Amino acid sequence: MASVLEVRGLSKKYPKKDVLAADGVSFSVDEGEIFALIGPNGAGKTTTIRMISTLIQPTGGDALVAGHSVVKEPDKVRENITYLPDEAGAYKTMTGINYLEFMASLFAQNKDELDKYVERGKAICGLGDRLSDKIGGYSRGMIRKLLLARAVMTEPKLAIMDEATSGLDVINALEIRKMIKALAKEHNMAFLLSSHNMLEIEYVSDRVGIMTGGKLMAVGRIDELKERYEAANLEEVFERVVKNNEVR
Amino acid sequence: MKFGNLLKKELRELITKQAIISMVFTMLLLIVMGQIMGGAMEEGLNTSTITLCNQDDSPFTADVLKKIEASQTTEINYVTFESDDYAAELERLDIKNAVIIPQGYGESIVDKKEPALIKFVSKMQSGGITSSISNISGSEVIKTIQSVCTDEILLESYGLSDEDVELVRYPLTTVEYTVNNGRTAEVSASALGSITMMQSMIAPFAIFFLLLMASQMIMTAISTEKIDKTLETLLSAPVSRMTVLSAKMVAAVISALLNALFMIVGFIGYTNSMMSGTAGDIADAANGMTAPQINMSEVTEGISNIGQAMSELGLAITPLSYVLFAVQLFFTVAIGLSISLILGAMATDVKSVQTLVMPIMITVMIPFFITMFMDVNSMSAIFKFAVYAIPFTHTYMALSNLMNGNMLIFWAGLIYQIIFFAVCMFLAVRMFTTDKLFTMSFSADAASKKRGKKALPNEQ
Repeated sequence: MASVLEVRGLSKKYPKKDVLAADGVSFSVDEGEIFALIGPNGAGKTTTIRMISTLIQPTGGDALVAGHSVVKEPDKVRENITYLPDEAGAYKTMTGINYLEFMASLFAQNKDELDKYVERGKAICGLGDRLSDKIGGYSRGMIRKLLLARAVMTEPKLAIMDEATSGLDVINALEIRKMIKALAKEHNMAFLLSSHNMLEIEYVSDRVGIMTGGKLMAVGRIDELKERYEAANLEEVFERVVKNNEVR
Repeated sequence: MKFGNLLKKELRELITKQAIISMVFTMLLLIVMGQIMGGAMEEGLNTSTITLCNQDDSPFTADVLKKIEASQTTEINYVTFESDDYAAELERLDIKNAVIIPQGYGESIVDKKEPALIKFVSKMQSGGITSSISNISGSEVIKTIQSVCTDEILLESYGLSDEDVELVRYPLTTVEYTVNNGRTAEVSASALGSITMMQSMIAPFAIFFLLLMASQMIMTAISTEKIDKTLETLLSAPVSRMTVLSAKMVAAVISALLNALFMIVGFIGYTNSMMSGTAGDIADAANGMTAPQINMSEVTEGISNIGQAMSELGLAITPLSYVLFAVQLFFTVAIGLSISLILGAMATDVKSVQTLVMPIMITVMIPFFITMFMDVNSMSAIFKFAVYAIPFTHTYMALSNLMNGNMLIFWAGLIYQIIFFAVCMFLAVRMFTTDKLFTMSFSADAASKKRGKKALPNEQ
């Protein structure tokens, strides 16, 4: 299967900081694959995701999205991705439908495409009549659903999601996980996820990458990692990888 | 298309129903304030009622009072004081002030040929402007009585005719000339001053509000997007950062102009109402007249005379001056926006936005007040250059420089602003197109904690 994302030795050093926030990170994500980056706070997950999303520039290495370099062709990269930041908000003065229309207008090439994106967004978010209300009156869960719908309505080659289900209740979170799996399988969309919820990662991801101290310490399928680290579940794998790194 | 959608979105965020209501409210508030003030002044200055306690029964006083009544400009409300306790009497009669003509007033003037005593009692009121106006009106009443008394003395005691009395009262007519930039015009300098002050006040007020509004808007727009992380979503979409940036700036200018428009309409309404109360004075001064009766045609004539005189003196604002002023205004707003953009991007929370807006407010306010109350060129060299170093100063002074033909100072100011804008814009674009947009931050809490830590050793 062809790679949608090819990360090659991606590094980031922030000014006035001695250590690298991301240190030679390399991994790839195939079409229709769900890849999750996990790690403790400050491990470099968000920095890596932001570099792939073209929000910040790498100080070393590169990442190719659908064959386009994040360093040399960020405009092309943005045409192929959507990014959902952790704890992101939406424009409170807009209605839900206005928001979907506005975001779709940034991706669509013509009116038909725009209508198609918006219709898909409406169906995915499941907010029904509430889409005509101002976002300022939405609950956190409703905003998250709207943002998730926005992130997948354009069917990007790569959807990047930081804590995709944060703020959602169990039922909604489950729905979202099922939706991500279905989109990957049926529409061949690739997902790059980042999460602290090991249960969610274990359920939804095809492969995971465990980061700590800016480095990607382990990459593999969940069952492979469990076997490699002699762990019963992903939480134990995570604990062992992080602790091993701390000892060193 | 993308720019249009982004602009629409920005305008929708900035020009909300609440924002429009607040703009209309401010405008109406200014107009109503002007009307209240103007009304109070007019009422105070043209008051037609004298509360008078006449304790003198002389024919002279009776004649004087008859003449005042006959003039039909002043109505007399007669009261009787039962004691010399003025506080109690004002309270009892429920009046604010009263003129007392004591016993022997007429006799003193007619027989002894010496100035006679007249008393004016007024109640101290709140510190409002209207209370001081009521005291002014009291002294005007005494002037009226004095004037009628003079006429009466001249007519009765000295046997002069009405024409002679008029000549004695107004023995001279003045024609005033004002000189500016080597030109002379037949106009009173004080009247000219009133008009030019009105003109030169509206422009700085507009600049002041325009700058503050535009700066605050762009700062809030950028910081809210950054805090809510909608900026990350937006900038990861297939739209260039320069498009996002320019949509934000254009939207901030449009909504700032709208704000300034409402504010100016309100301010003009305010000054017009105020002016209507003092228009008589302007007409007086313009025509060099001192006649007590003024009609509206004289007022209009007086003001149009000033307009003509201003053209003769080269003080009228030409279309070219307006164009140059507009160019300078554009660069001023652009400087404000680019600085605000940098500051807004540094905000990490609402509190830090409030702190970060301070540098803009200070640099907008300092030249606003300095140019309004002082002549910058007469300040010491250090202060002068410090004030000139603030780019906004040149805009506040632009109209005055253009009107007075100080073109060298105007062009120097404009060139300085263009250079200043280029530097600020370069920094803003650099910040917006690099990591700095996400890595630069200013937290009000962190700053105060840092200050607190530094202060600790001293405290101990």
